[in-house]
Amino acid sequence: MHPSQSANVSKAYLLSRCRLGAIGLFALLSAQALVLAPLAWAEATATGTETGDASCYVEGLADRLKCGFITVAENPDKPAGRQIDIHYAVLPAIKQSHPGEALLAIAGGPGQSAIDNAANFDRIFTKVRQQRDILLIDQRGTGRSHPLNCDSDPTLEPLALDDTALNIGAEAGRCLAKLDADVTQYGSLQALADFELVRRKLGYDKLHLYGISYGTRMAQLYMRRYPEHLASVTLDGVVPMQQSVLAIAGAIDRAFELLLRDCRETRACQAQFPALADDLTLVETRLAKAPNLSQSRDPLTGEPTPLTMTLGKFLGAIRMALYMPNTRALLPHAIHEAARENYQPILGLYALTLDGAGMAMGMHASVVCGEDMQRLTPALKARTRASRIGRDMLDGLGQTCAVWRVPAASADFAEPIASDLPTLVLSGELDPATPPSWGELALARLTHAKHFIAPHATHGVAFQSCGNNLVAQLVESASLEDLDPDCLSKDVRRSFYLNASTVETIPASAGKQTAAAAPAKEQP
Amino acid sequence: MLSKLLTLVRKELLDAARDKRSVMAGLYYAIGTPLVMCALFMVLIAQLASPEDLDIKISNADRAPDLVRYLGNQGINHSDSEDAAKIRLVISQDYPQQMAKAKSAQVTIIADNSDEKLQTSIRRLQAQLQAYSSEMGSLRLVARGIDPRVVRSLQINLEDQATPDSKGGMILGIAIFTMIYSVFISGMNLAIDTSAGERERNSLALLLSHPLSTRQLVLSKIIAVTLFAMLGLVLILLVSKLAYTLVPWQELGFSISISPQFMALMLAIGLPVALMAASMQLFVSFMAKTFKEAQSYLTMVLFVPLALSMAASYNIAPDALQWLPVSGQQQALMAFIKGREIPMLQLLVSSLATLALALALALGMERSLKSEKVIFGL
Repeated sequence: MHPSQSANVSKAYLLSRCRLGAIGLFALLSAQALVLAPLAWAEATATGTETGDASCYVEGLADRLKCGFITVAENPDKPAGRQIDIHYAVLPAIKQSHPGEALLAIAGGPGQSAIDNAANFDRIFTKVRQQRDILLIDQRGTGRSHPLNCDSDPTLEPLALDDTALNIGAEAGRCLAKLDADVTQYGSLQALADFELVRRKLGYDKLHLYGISYGTRMAQLYMRRYPEHLASVTLDGVVPMQQSVLAIAGAIDRAFELLLRDCRETRACQAQFPALADDLTLVETRLAKAPNLSQSRDPLTGEPTPLTMTLGKFLGAIRMALYMPNTRALLPHAIHEAARENYQPILGLYALTLDGAGMAMGMHASVVCGEDMQRLTPALKARTRASRIGRDMLDGLGQTCAVWRVPAASADFAEPIASDLPTLVLSGELDPATPPSWGELALARLTHAKHFIAPHATHGVAFQSCGNNLVAQLVESASLEDLDPDCLSKDVRRSFYLNASTVETIPASAGKQTAAAAPAKEQP
Repeated sequence: MLSKLLTLVRKELLDAARDKRSVMAGLYYAIGTPLVMCALFMVLIAQLASPEDLDIKISNADRAPDLVRYLGNQGINHSDSEDAAKIRLVISQDYPQQMAKAKSAQVTIIADNSDEKLQTSIRRLQAQLQAYSSEMGSLRLVARGIDPRVVRSLQINLEDQATPDSKGGMILGIAIFTMIYSVFISGMNLAIDTSAGERERNSLALLLSHPLSTRQLVLSKIIAVTLFAMLGLVLILLVSKLAYTLVPWQELGFSISISPQFMALMLAIGLPVALMAASMQLFVSFMAKTFKEAQSYLTMVLFVPLALSMAASYNIAPDALQWLPVSGQQQALMAFIKGREIPMLQLLVSSLATLALALALALGMERSLKSEKVIFGL
């Protein structure tokens, strides 16, 4: 088996349809690391004791971290029942000036590991770490904390597979049978109690919270339940409590439209792809009729493989690419090529999504099925079904949740958060998951909050702009007074790819290299 | 017997207190050194760090607007100011042509890499260009349906065993050196004054005419000088503890703090060294014929222990040094501050050697003070 073929199909499937959206944050394509690899978890010394602390290393970070875990009952109502370990890692402050404080960075997904992303958090929070610890906790069901991973049938080949024919309910049932867990216990509220226990164990009086994507829900719950232990909160790419994540389908459509608009309004892109909207419609119509079958090469191994390009894979690849400004820049070219029946760029983008960004899909389902599915009003359902990927997303989730059977969270779960904590809300105008309007919604009953919209950012403003400096400033002063959003408006747009190689305007001499009449010599 | 000794020590200290200028000179060192060093480090850190917003001069920016905006997002911007021109980035004229054909496009950094103030910034610019290049390369592969992981055949992990304290080891080595130095320097003036000086003032002979043993005389002088040396050490520790916290070490990626435990250890280890320093300074001063001569001899003799300490602090020492006086103690202190195990045996041997040396010098002094040649400086 080559590596890409052992990729998790059901994961890829669920991912491309019901992801709440951390994949962009967690850097499918961050500048240095274009792809995530599984994390090496080396412990310098064995953690034998129940609440053992040890130094450890994580991938991409040379520093020695402090790692440990607490053991908690999986079900708080059955303290003698199954015990699970909640792992955490502390990136120690360079100069510990505030030993009673730490920045707790909460990962997205739901289902991503915060510790796996330690290097990313370290990179953006360099300034914070100069004087304060950064605390990362693998939320229950993710990473090292009793992960609810769903490994799919290894005989399914993700490239050749026709995912429209996949029985998601059966896949989910197979996964559930393999899991040694009560999947009803992996929701946000149970995890919140774990977070608080970790805080207490480590002896921090006050936490500064940074939540990204789904992590913002955890941060908001923390604000509601334990406000006395918080000093400041940053919600980046916020999912307001009032909002079911299933509304994401509308956000995705919006991001598609913004992509088309941006290309239309950019001279070079408009010149190169004058009919991009038509190209997109053409491919959608074509693939809706029947998947495109072809012989291709495996993106990783180079071995010949049949490729079944379905509408789901096509839209999923585009959707994931919209998370990061750099992959987004490739989309007009990829869509245009697809319209010309060349699916190689789409295949390349699709291959990037196959590892699922390390999402624990079982935990993902536990959260979404318990906290979002029941909020599906008829109106939202109708809107979602009418959107590009909404129908598939609802069908997939419906089948998964029927198997997962997580009791619905109580109605007050969806109440807006009332708080006077200094809260910074960050939204990216181009965000394909949590659009700026969601940020406005989150503000409803926050009395000390500011909402900044970064015009050129997608999902995860702190990862793409000066947003991380604003967070550092907030943590330092615990006040929103002096935060200046001007730097977010700096023009950091990425130019669109005009062919498979360049983002710069193609000079006449180079662009027409295949045309017979092309001039032989370049301009000096 | 003991009361005579105490009286003598009191007399020495009283003498020392009377000549404030010369004696305080030694203590000024203990107070001033950490302050001066920290001020220097503050300036140095500010100079070595790359400014958050780095201005450089970019030529042909219109050939690569995407690259220029990418750099801008990393805080590297074009500016026409004179300062910015110290680092120039020249984008080649044929950049778009080369890019469009998937060839390497040339960019050139022009800067003086020997200028310490620029080095970090040059490295930063290089790293960002490299990051842009690899991102672009990865996306070119994606556009061709290839997983970019194929060109990343090695994943290189580094597991750094250093602690935040040990990363500052070099600086701490220098700090410990200044502390040991203060042990030698703080009592030096007193040592000269109480030996060669006393002889020049002709009060030494007077003192010896009293019913006192030479041993009591020598002991009282050693104790007085040692007390001054230790006073210097206490002062430099206190001032260091305050001053070092003011320097923004974190910008260099480590922290330096003088912990109470370290201070206690330093004082314990410093006592034998102070005894040895006192004996040595007194011995040499008595050997000299005049005050002036004592000063020059001492400066020369001081070089030996300080060279030992310096060698240990820069880690250029051969292993043998950890058994010797001064350098052995210094290495033990550095091991402690780096969070490693203290080499107890070596510390014991070097401390005993230090005491033995002090004893030998004291006995030598006792014997020499019985000779009239020495007493009258003939």
